[in-house]
Amino acid sequence: MDIVVCVKTNPDLQMVRIKNREAVTEAVPYKIGDLEKNALQAAVDLRAAAGGKVTALCLAESNRKAAEDIKVALAMGADEAVVIDDPALAAPDQAAIAAVLAAAVKKIGACDLLLFGEGSSDNYTGQVGARVAELLGLPQIGYARKVEAADGAVRCERSMDDMIETLEAPLPAAVTVVSEINEPTIPGLMQIMKAKSKPLQVWALADLGLGAPAPVREIVSNLAEEQDRKNILFEGTVAEQADAFVNALIKEGVLGR
Amino acid sequence: MEQVECIIVGGGLAGLSAAYGLASAGVEVMVLERGDYSGAKNVTGGRLYVKPIRGFYPELWEELPYERPIARELVTMMGDGAHTTIEIASDRFAGAKPQSYTVLRAKLDQWLAEKVTEKGAMVVPNMKVDELLRKDGRVIGIRAGGDEIGAQVVIVAEGVLRLLSSEAGLAAEPQAKHHALGYKEVIELPSGVIEDRWHLNPGEGAAQFFMGACTKGMMGGGFLYTNKESISLGMVVGMEDMRRRRDGTESWQLLDEFKELPQIKPLVAGGVVAEYSAHSVPEGGISQVPKLAGDGYLVAGDTAGLSLNALVTVRGMDFAIASGYFAAEAVKRAKKAGDFTAAGLASYEASLRNSFVLKDLETARAIPGFMENPRLFTHYPVAVSRLLESIYTIDERPQAGLFKKAWRGLRRDFMNVATVKDAWSMRKI
Ligand SMILES: Cc1cc2nc3c(=O)[nH]c(=O)nc-3n(C[C@H](O)[C@H](O)[C@H](O)COP(=O)(O)OP(=O)(O)OC[C@H]3O[C@@H](n4cnc5c(N)ncnc54)[C@H](O)[C@@H]3O)c2cc1C
Repeated sequence: MDIVVCVKTNPDLQMVRIKNREAVTEAVPYKIGDLEKNALQAAVDLRAAAGGKVTALCLAESNRKAAEDIKVALAMGADEAVVIDDPALAAPDQAAIAAVLAAAVKKIGACDLLLFGEGSSDNYTGQVGARVAELLGLPQIGYARKVEAADGAVRCERSMDDMIETLEAPLPAAVTVVSEINEPTIPGLMQIMKAKSKPLQVWALADLGLGAPAPVREIVSNLAEEQDRKNILFEGTVAEQADAFVNALIKEGVLGR
Repeated sequence: MEQVECIIVGGGLAGLSAAYGLASAGVEVMVLERGDYSGAKNVTGGRLYVKPIRGFYPELWEELPYERPIARELVTMMGDGAHTTIEIASDRFAGAKPQSYTVLRAKLDQWLAEKVTEKGAMVVPNMKVDELLRKDGRVIGIRAGGDEIGAQVVIVAEGVLRLLSSEAGLAAEPQAKHHALGYKEVIELPSGVIEDRWHLNPGEGAAQFFMGACTKGMMGGGFLYTNKESISLGMVVGMEDMRRRRDGTESWQLLDEFKELPQIKPLVAGGVVAEYSAHSVPEGGISQVPKLAGDGYLVAGDTAGLSLNALVTVRGMDFAIASGYFAAEAVKRAKKAGDFTAAGLASYEASLRNSFVLKDLETARAIPGFMENPRLFTHYPVAVSRLLESIYTIDERPQAGLFKKAWRGLRRDFMNVATVKDAWSMRKI
């Protein structure tokens, strides 16, 4: 079974700081997102059961080192990697990302199963998996916490509020996974060294026969939320302070609705 | 066992500098770095003296991601409610070819790691080396996690702690008396504010050292470097002095108290602490430099004890880069000769001895001993400030003449057996 896993790299969120309500990403290294690692691990596990090939597919966006960073996916067990890196794609919207990924999946060719994380760790729109599936006309299952493949079909479990739903779709299909699905392995030095000689291709938009995307969505503002504090100080004994505090909360409508 | 030509343990400046030289010459090289990325764990103040290293990899330094060239040097002696600051400025400090720059290591090391990768070396972050593999006294490779990898030569550039090299018997275990503790905060301030507070032309920088009251008389001092939009403010204190203290002062409290001092508070006012870190600093000087090479290995940078704190100039990064450069040269030579034994790698020590690295360390041989003199951190900062304060004081009494005031101060604080002894011991430094 041939599997393509869409893998995004994000600025390392632990290193991002907020300054003047904006994220400072200068000198912050990129990393493969955690959910994408879950998807990769799921692909590697499926390959162990069913054979085939795992390809990691990454749209570099603004990460100029994506071709380097994606080697972690190869070390984790992907057989090949494809990076799409094009200056016209530095800040694409979800529609453009999906169009490019769909074209890349077509170019890769053999793909029985297309895997995604449920969302990316930075913007977390949760749209890309569904959009790509739609563009490729594939059946899609979102938020899988278990994936199995057998007899030309994929069978997934997902948690609903009060039940576990089991869904099946014929292959080829697209599936997005949640973090409960597995514990991604941390590659050892030997795996990292072996990854070096695995095939890695970098494509530009022209290689996919695409032109620069016209954004249909524009980010008008993306600021950290700012909260005005009420700056109320309660005085008196602890009991009095507590009473006054609770009353204030009730008045604000926070308590006792 | 999988084999590579050269493994470098530690992706700091020493390791990366060696990797750059080797990869440029087509040697198969792999750098293993414990941190999430190079520079992730680095605490350097810091200022990089570039003049000494400009000749190594000249193409690199054109692109160095520096913060500010240092145009002003300030030394503040902190006494008892009074302090004295001396400013040293020169057109030749900054100018067209600055002698030193402030740097932020997270940026610098990542940049260098990128350059190294471009040259074809493999830099593996998140990879802690657990052991240096030895066979018949020869270093033959490393173990990281479950994997053992062999190498013809291992360059050990693991930084100051020497955990691996001391375990493998390549260097002595670090001792507290040869180390200081360094603490540092990066405090963000707008660049205009920095330029106003330190009287700087746009883009230029200042370095300031503090000694005396800020370490409560312990060996060490405070440092302050201006970056583009932040300052690196920190403190270094002798580990032994700190350990001997019985008043419950925790070393990290010193930095907090330092920031509250009336001389420092207005300098950091309005700043936002972006980063806090702590690290040990080698202060042993040349007496703590271990054997630099043996069968199958070389040691470089802080691991080799190549660091020099000469009170007002702190050097380690330039030595780390230089030792990495010479390590690469030696390995290239050894490869050509097909001899990675101690004899084949001997040119490394010879190059270091012929260069500023071991020469400057040799010149400074007496400094660590000199710095053990507590009067440097207690008596003198107080005495200097007291003397100058008296000269600048006018009160209701008739004033003594200038000369008399100075003479009185000098006689009281600078002319006794102890100070004469100190002056005599200074001739060696
Ligand atoms: C507070 C402070 C201020 C300083 N200020 C200055 C200054 O202003 N100017 C100056 O020139 N120098 C300064 N120094 C000294 C300077 O930081 C060092 O001399 C220099 O960083 C040494 O470089 P290095 O490559 O030898 O070690 P490091 O930069 O420490 O690099 C060692 C690397 O090895 C990695 N490592 C360690 N063990 C392992 C392992 N087992 N497996 C894999 N990786 C490992 C570490 O993560 C680290 O990245 C200062 C130091 C301190 C602490």
